[in-house]
Amino acid sequence: MSGFSIGRAVEFFLGLLEVFNPVVEPYRRFHEKLPPKVQQTVTAFIFILPFGILYGIFTILPIFQTFYISLHKWEIMGTNIRYIGLRNFERLLTRDTQFHQAFEQTVLFVALTIPIIFVGLCFALMLNRPIKGIGIFRTIFYLPNIMAVTVIGLIWARVFASSSRGLINAFLENFDAGPIPFLDQGDLATLVVSFTTLWWTVGFSMLVFLAGLQDISQALYDAAKVDGANRRQQFRHITIPGLRRPFAFLCILQVIASFQIFGQVDVMTGGGPAGNTRTIVYNIFETSFLYFQVGYGTAMAVIMFAVLLVISLFQLALFRDQGVGN
Amino acid sequence: MTVVGAELQRKRQLIERRRGSVYILAVGAFALVWMLPVIWTLVTSFRPEAALQRNLASLIPYPFTTENWTFILKSSQLWKWLGNSAFVSTTHTLAQLSVCSLAAYAFARLDFYFKRPLYLLVLIGLMVPFEATFLPVYLLFSNLKLHNTLIALILPGIASSFAVFLLTQFFRGIPLELEEAAMMDGAGRFRIFLIVILPLSTPVITALAIFTFLGNWNSYLWPIISATSSDVYTIVIGLRKLNQAWGDVNFYGRDMAAAVFTAMPIILFFFVFQRRIISGIAINSGIK
Repeated sequence: MSGFSIGRAVEFFLGLLEVFNPVVEPYRRFHEKLPPKVQQTVTAFIFILPFGILYGIFTILPIFQTFYISLHKWEIMGTNIRYIGLRNFERLLTRDTQFHQAFEQTVLFVALTIPIIFVGLCFALMLNRPIKGIGIFRTIFYLPNIMAVTVIGLIWARVFASSSRGLINAFLENFDAGPIPFLDQGDLATLVVSFTTLWWTVGFSMLVFLAGLQDISQALYDAAKVDGANRRQQFRHITIPGLRRPFAFLCILQVIASFQIFGQVDVMTGGGPAGNTRTIVYNIFETSFLYFQVGYGTAMAVIMFAVLLVISLFQLALFRDQGVGN
Repeated sequence: MTVVGAELQRKRQLIERRRGSVYILAVGAFALVWMLPVIWTLVTSFRPEAALQRNLASLIPYPFTTENWTFILKSSQLWKWLGNSAFVSTTHTLAQLSVCSLAAYAFARLDFYFKRPLYLLVLIGLMVPFEATFLPVYLLFSNLKLHNTLIALILPGIASSFAVFLLTQFFRGIPLELEEAAMMDGAGRFRIFLIVILPLSTPVITALAIFTFLGNWNSYLWPIISATSSDVYTIVIGLRKLNQAWGDVNFYGRDMAAAVFTAMPIILFFFVFQRRIISGIAINSGIK
């Protein structure tokens, strides 16, 4: 394909658009007589239109629909729709112990996955050295992060399977020990899912911290050395404050992500044992697609949305703090 | 510098280098342990079922078999799902880039009525997770009878607030003079967008494209509720369904081969775009 260039492709594409000239030309003459701001408004609206349509259908409208549906008894086939006011919420907040349990379990997951950030920091510090060949480990530790949850879940569910069909228990069997019921016991299963999440996502925190570490000016360290600061003091007074921004960023992202844990649970435990690892999103999924109670499911979504909204407000404040938010 | 001094320095360098290699070895050992489950998965996919029944916990693929892999590679289903994933993610990414970059150009460069409220409306999307609003979207596709089509897997998420936000920020940083020069030559807005703005934004657009592609390829919640017929599974969902169907008793090695098969394309993708991905994280997280 000699002579191919993006520029030429663009010209060709623009040439194709000239088909519309008979329609566009008369308008263009009219357009040029308009005041500049009106002109730009027309152009801008045309540019935004494709985005606006999709955004309206798939983001804005569903927000209102979520609230609307949550006020109804609504079955998934669209049958049996009946307005019941706030009764879904009343049931959710006062009587539904399963939802309460799922909410607590989700908060527990959030708490158990926050340490991922600290592990990521340790990894970043471990790799932040000017040694030849150390870059390869960056790649290795980040690699799990880009794999799908089904792959990760499958592997770790098999490492931790409770019977002798699990790697660890098969290994223990050689010494006549075990089996340890990793996934058959609520607390253990929670830990296993959290650990899997750690293994899966720690590379992301690591990379964000590595970028943050490289942003800290070497001059600060040099000045500290001149002043006789030892390595611990340098870490305490230069590195830690220098990483404040990535740290805040990761905290919020981690909390939001953990609040929506679904894939790991679905693949590894199916919410079990005995509903012990059921999270909010898993509960919404079960209520809506197993019991077909979409109305009730959306009510749960509204509550989750409210919680996440508060967290996101922190996020927005953070963006603004960085001077990138408009 | 005296001879003794030069000798001393050389010695110090040698010690430093030796210390460096010891450190690398230690990190390497740790990485090996960290990746043990992956290695085990790979090895297991090359072991025959009978050997796996006897002992799972082995890292030596002896006796060796390619039976699991022949089965997986001959499965037309897996290839079809891979094709679905490739098509869905590519289309989704291209659509998102076109739609969002156009909108971002308007927000970054044009002065128009209702600009601020509209931009605010876009930013609201940053705070709305798909997990909170996916049920109405599900009902919409039910009403349109579009479940179990690839379109259903492509459409949601194309209009991404994050993409518009990121691109608007970037476009604002491009010097106005370049655009004015093109305007002098009589270029319209659309032409300017295509031949001035887009080429100058290659780094950020590539980063965005890569992460959009990965995100869509790996998405789980939406395809598992929307795609319920095996014709339209993505590879990620297909693996899950195979895993459920085969259980973990009879086809252990085959299942592991399927897992590696699923992971492989994305690992290749990663190695091709490695640099972009790693620097892209800094861009996306707003640190640089």
